[in-house]
Amino acid sequence: MNNAFDLVEMLEGRRVVVVAGAGGVGKTTVSAALALGLAARGARGAVVTIDPARRLASALGIDDLGDTPHRVDPARVEAAGMRMEGTLDALQLDPQATFDRLVAREAPDEAAREKILRNRIYRHLSTAVAGAQEFMAVERLHELVDSGDYDAVVLDTPPARNALDFLDAPERMTRFVEGRGLRLLLGPRGGVGRSGWRALQAGGHMVMSVVERLTGAQLLTDISEFLQSFDGMYEGFSERASAVRFLLASDSSRFVVVTGPRPEPAGEAIALWRRLRDDRYPLGAVVVNRVHPQPGGGDSPPSALAALLADAGAPDAEGLAARAADALASARARSAADRHEIRAIAGALDAPPITTVPALDDDPVEVAGLARVTRELEGG
Amino acid sequence: MEGPPLIDRRMAFVLGKGGVGKTAVAAALALGLADAGHRTLLVEVGAETRTEALFGTAPALDEPVEVRPGLFALTVDAELATQEYLSIQLRVKPLVEMMARSRAFHQVTQAAPGLAELVTLGKIWDLATTVRDGAPVWDRLVVDSPATGHGIALLEAAGNARDLAGSGPIRDQAEAIEKVVRHPAATGIAVVAMPEDLAVTEAIEAVEILRARGMPVACAVANAVRRSPFSPADAQALRAVLADPAAGDAERAAATAAIAVTDGAHHDEREVEGLARESGLPVAVLPHVPDLAPGSGGLEALSAALMGDPAIRGAA
Repeated sequence: MNNAFDLVEMLEGRRVVVVAGAGGVGKTTVSAALALGLAARGARGAVVTIDPARRLASALGIDDLGDTPHRVDPARVEAAGMRMEGTLDALQLDPQATFDRLVAREAPDEAAREKILRNRIYRHLSTAVAGAQEFMAVERLHELVDSGDYDAVVLDTPPARNALDFLDAPERMTRFVEGRGLRLLLGPRGGVGRSGWRALQAGGHMVMSVVERLTGAQLLTDISEFLQSFDGMYEGFSERASAVRFLLASDSSRFVVVTGPRPEPAGEAIALWRRLRDDRYPLGAVVVNRVHPQPGGGDSPPSALAALLADAGAPDAEGLAARAADALASARARSAADRHEIRAIAGALDAPPITTVPALDDDPVEVAGLARVTRELEGG
Repeated sequence: MEGPPLIDRRMAFVLGKGGVGKTAVAAALALGLADAGHRTLLVEVGAETRTEALFGTAPALDEPVEVRPGLFALTVDAELATQEYLSIQLRVKPLVEMMARSRAFHQVTQAAPGLAELVTLGKIWDLATTVRDGAPVWDRLVVDSPATGHGIALLEAAGNARDLAGSGPIRDQAEAIEKVVRHPAATGIAVVAMPEDLAVTEAIEAVEILRARGMPVACAVANAVRRSPFSPADAQALRAVLADPAAGDAERAAATAAIAVTDGAHHDEREVEGLARESGLPVAVLPHVPDLAPGSGGLEALSAALMGDPAIRGAA
């Protein structure tokens, strides 16, 4: 299947490329292939992955993919037959490390910083609070763009059952850290503040005493301490969250939605694309990954196959020819089903730019494999 | 791994990354257990349901719905489970309603690490241990866990809560739940993967994490494994056709398609071997079933393959 346009060219000059989609569709590979394409054309590029992607690390020739950027050896790219005009760095998001840095930057003093880092709620934050990981991903993106070290940052978004979570999470997280309402009620533990009286009249104090009865006082003390230690910091947090939102909504960014040619991820991709469009985020393209290519041979049946197989010494040439014909019919049916799904996406979305990547048994294990995906994304 | 085969444990948690067919495997297991005469409850976690697409009947949020004879489905939503928990604990309806409406309460439940997972797990535990007329209401529970990261968080919720809540009923309940969840006679975890490099690596990592935390991993499931109807001699003859100048386009296309099938099957076989070797677990191997829609017979075929596999039912 030939692609009608060059996605890498479409993304050239953008500072941020967000790659989103349902889990299990190959977002990481597409992200890395796009970053490679942009770097090959001269950008100082970076790809940020969320999931531990050991294969990707080995594909890029990086031993330990971590929070610090690692440079991809240009010789490897050149060896894969691709001219490398720019540079490519790869990083894997470490949510806790990102948040620790954010706290270090925003905390008013050393004591406040230490208090937060020791808090039990804080230590569980990056894994336990809904949206925390997405928040950190967006924060890391902000850091990288701000650093001025990169022309193009490609972000592989966190896997989520619902890919839309990515857009809502930062705000949820900011609201949480801000902790309105909760702050009023908890106040400094042991007393009810002036504003707390209003909440108390609304039955808020009773809410807290019920929670305390169920969980013990320790949990509320921890939460209270956590929120207090963020005093004077959450303005900074929400400022950053809105700065990132502004960046993502600007013409400097593009969203790429990845899906497989199956109804379930395609449904998510359609919903995501519509949501992005309605919220006026800058749309790039839909990438349909792992598409089964159309077998050759036209529509004529392989009538002479049994004779050829008999010549080749096959024990049961007739039976084998029939099974091979079945295999061909299945391959055609699979390819037809994939094309049908791609048409369904195009129809549902009013013909967005769609590009396809053929199915491989495995995600690429070396730069050459990744470069192949890049070439597909460039129009095949 | 110690413990009885998965089908003999009261609670089965089916874990896996998004896109590996975890929901279908959970549904196939639940269907097989119900067919074997166990009164079975299939539990989905989260507000979104996929059960309807598999059984043609939507599960309710509050009440188990019978989707097949002896097989019931229920969706457990953290928010509803929290309200239910509150009404059991507080017993005063206006107070429960006030709590449920309170923004501060929602923030506490969000802030308390893993509280949402804990009430979800607590609800599952409650279902598993409910007894009516001297007998358990459910013989078997199959839990379609959230995608891996969260699936593990769900299983760990009780341990985390025990650490965080210093005292009070939540701590006591967390301890009781943790005992059952960690007990290999009561609970079994099945980790689902596709025969694809990355998916297998991630499944092995999940198994290592679960083991390190003392969770009762029972088996792995390799889903959508391709098999080849061609022998090595067949493959050789097919390759000879590709090299034969007398072969026309249609013949080449058929030979190419057949060789792709054998290559794919070999690839998957190696992945399944790797999964078994690296995880040290019995691996159930399921075929690729393209259509799982109600009435297609796909889910029934998947269920039959799963229930017949020694990795699930134990060595004969």
